Amino acid sequence: MSDIKTKKRKTWKNPLAVWGAKGGNHEVPTPEWKNPHQIWRDTKAFKVPTTKIGRFHYEYKSSNHGEKIWNRLRWWPTRRTILWTQGVYNRKSLKPEKIRKDKRPIFWFLSLLALAIMPFILPDGYKNSLLTAGGIFGIYASINLCWTLVIGTAGIFSLATYAIVGMSAFLTTWLSINLGLPWWMLPMIGMFVGLAFGVIIALPALRLDGFYYGLLTLGLNELCRVFITTSHAFGAASGGLYGADTFVNDNWEPMTQTIVQYYSGFALLIAALFLFRFVDGKRIGRILKLAPEKKEAFAEASGVNYKRARVTVFLISSIALGFIGGFYAAYYRGSAFDIFSFHTVIMGLAMITIGGIGRADGAVAGTLIIVVLDRVLVELGPYRYIIIGLIMMFTILFLKNGLFGIRKQFRDWRDKKKGEARSSRLERGGEMLPEQATEIDNKDEIYRKRYDKMQREFLKTLICDEIIEEHKQKPLGQHSEALERVCYYFRRGAMNDKYVVKCEVPFKKYKIMALSGVRGRSPRLVEDKIYDTVEAAYHGLFLRRIQDLMEA
Amino acid sequence: MNDIIFLIINGITVASIYGLIAVAVSITWSALGLLNLSYGFIFSFAGYGAWLAERHIYGEPIFVMFMGIAAGIIGGIMVCLIVFIPVHDKPNFTIRGMIGTLAVSLIGGQILLQNFGPKAKLLPEFFGYGKIKILDVTLTADKIGIICSSILMLTIVVKWMKSSRRGLEIRAMMMNPHAASIVGIGVRKTGIYVMAVTGAMTGLSAALLSQTYYLSPFSGLTPMIKGVSIALMGGLGSVRGAVIAAIILGFNEALTTKFLGGRYVLMTQFALIIIVLIIRPRGIAGILDKAREA
Repeated sequence: MSDIKTKKRKTWKNPLAVWGAKGGNHEVPTPEWKNPHQIWRDTKAFKVPTTKIGRFHYEYKSSNHGEKIWNRLRWWPTRRTILWTQGVYNRKSLKPEKIRKDKRPIFWFLSLLALAIMPFILPDGYKNSLLTAGGIFGIYASINLCWTLVIGTAGIFSLATYAIVGMSAFLTTWLSINLGLPWWMLPMIGMFVGLAFGVIIALPALRLDGFYYGLLTLGLNELCRVFITTSHAFGAASGGLYGADTFVNDNWEPMTQTIVQYYSGFALLIAALFLFRFVDGKRIGRILKLAPEKKEAFAEASGVNYKRARVTVFLISSIALGFIGGFYAAYYRGSAFDIFSFHTVIMGLAMITIGGIGRADGAVAGTLIIVVLDRVLVELGPYRYIIIGLIMMFTILFLKNGLFGIRKQFRDWRDKKKGEARSSRLERGGEMLPEQATEIDNKDEIYRKRYDKMQREFLKTLICDEIIEEHKQKPLGQHSEALERVCYYFRRGAMNDKYVVKCEVPFKKYKIMALSGVRGRSPRLVEDKIYDTVEAAYHGLFLRRIQDLMEA
Repeated sequence: MNDIIFLIINGITVASIYGLIAVAVSITWSALGLLNLSYGFIFSFAGYGAWLAERHIYGEPIFVMFMGIAAGIIGGIMVCLIVFIPVHDKPNFTIRGMIGTLAVSLIGGQILLQNFGPKAKLLPEFFGYGKIKILDVTLTADKIGIICSSILMLTIVVKWMKSSRRGLEIRAMMMNPHAASIVGIGVRKTGIYVMAVTGAMTGLSAALLSQTYYLSPFSGLTPMIKGVSIALMGGLGSVRGAVIAAIILGFNEALTTKFLGGRYVLMTQFALIIIVLIIRPRGIAGILDKAREA
């Protein structure tokens, strides 16, 4: 409108005036005619750069086998299917397909299968050392799974896990030496030891929270260490207490002994995984998922007795840790003082943090990494601890939740980058963005928005003082082409926020309102200005629409 | 009677050394929200720094002591740069920071072991071999020196925190870290001051303890665990509480050694700590309801 000087003034004559049409102007100045198709041509023109859009699905989709889709294998006797399968339709071909929603069982099965057949596929040269490390891995992974139950599921930051295992191992070894208990009794007695220690350690957990408890348990660990190392009954001088009954027969061949130890460690790991599944995934675990740290008040208000659930989980895992302690004694014929050392606690924390705290897969994978570094690559000497420390530093500096959090972290990062790229290309009031367009099924909507944007761009070029003046003179009736195009667009607008004229007093008071666009919801008043005539109100409404158009 | 006084003085001597570490742990936790479990490493680092200074620079005991403090400051700043500054704005900072400091102590301990070997080292006696007799009780210069220098260090730190600009910043961080950062107190800068001061305290305790006992790559673990226990009992974040707890535990140590035997010291100590914590979950002088939310 400011550039009115640059526009050539032209005159429009009402073609209907010849027949004496009522309403409308006879002759008004008008802007020069513009081709309404030009903007369409301009938009279609190829303008680099184009950006890649959409997302690539690497997910494997198996074909659907029609009628048989409901005949799935199920875990007897539950109704649970073997794998979580979902039927989907291919968006392009509309073929029915199946996707596995959760592939973790497949990976668990394959990795456990690999562990199970390990003794048969390892080369002879490394067999002994690797299988020995494998047995240790089984025990440590089970301990860490129980620890994950305590830290992750129950949310009790206890560092006394190895203390429970160690006390159980030492007490059962002592009982085995002095009372001659057979090896299979040791884990059973260990369970009672674990329960007793669990009760003692759980008492302060009810009052203390978070890291106060962590520091206290660190001290308890030290207490156990000092108590055992200075006590004469537990062999103060020999660096450990040995001589318990064991399930490994000395008369067997060395390799048989190693394989028996390996498979016993493997069986312990499987048992610990089942325990984790049945505590973390069942009722008590779900209760505790409602009561994460700092949201306890909400859980309590919802009727969840989270304290009881926490202590229950703590006691269950203490019993399991006691069992592992007894097993440890039967496995090694005893235990060394090392199990109470600060070093062991650091190594254990490294195992659970590298994989990701609170996850079974994280605990097992982290244990595998640390055991391989610590027990297999022995020739690295002290450097292996430096490597472990560096891995820990890397994990806390760069990863959100350990190795198994990488997937989510990567996706979050990718979405963030996408969002940034998207916003850098964003135009106000623009058509749909390419990325959004790929995710919208109704393609008509995309075309409508695209058309609408071009239409608005074109109409903006038509707005000038002439047509406003023309509308002011005669709001109704035949208009010049430019004004007619603008008015058609305004009339065709969506019902929500469409402006209407409200008659307060006929021929005296008119106001402008906006429709809500929702049935049953009343229109709202947009301004307090009162117009004397309906024509003035029409024009005021027209000016408002023009303002909205120019601003959009 | 003499025995008991002797033991109590022993207890106070030990408590004043562990109390330094306890106050360090306490200040770090309350000002930075960092559970620094690498004080064991800083302790050994400072001890070796003092030992190197004694061997290679100058053997004067007081100089060696100050070099130990300086090495402690360097160790503290190192931990701050490696762990606190990169991690302090990440989610789950407390647990990350704790694991980070553990990783530092693992790596650092191994590096010390590589460079100095497992053989124990001994620092010279800083305070000579003099003795004073007060009311039938013999006080060695060593003990008086340890107690006096710890109290001096603690007084300097408390004064500094009460009267200086930096101390004001640190106290602001202790009260409310968010508000402190809003009014323009830099978290990173304050982190370096805090870690330097607490490093100095650890350095002094390392120098004092290594002249009485010995110095090895992992000799800092026990003092650290004791310091953490004292800080826990006194209430994390409270200097006053840490001092009270150190004195109580020192007495406890003396009395247990006298009546039950040295083996039971840790047991009675933890029984005491657990009882105190069950009665007051935030320690003797800790504020009951408000925990620091990092």
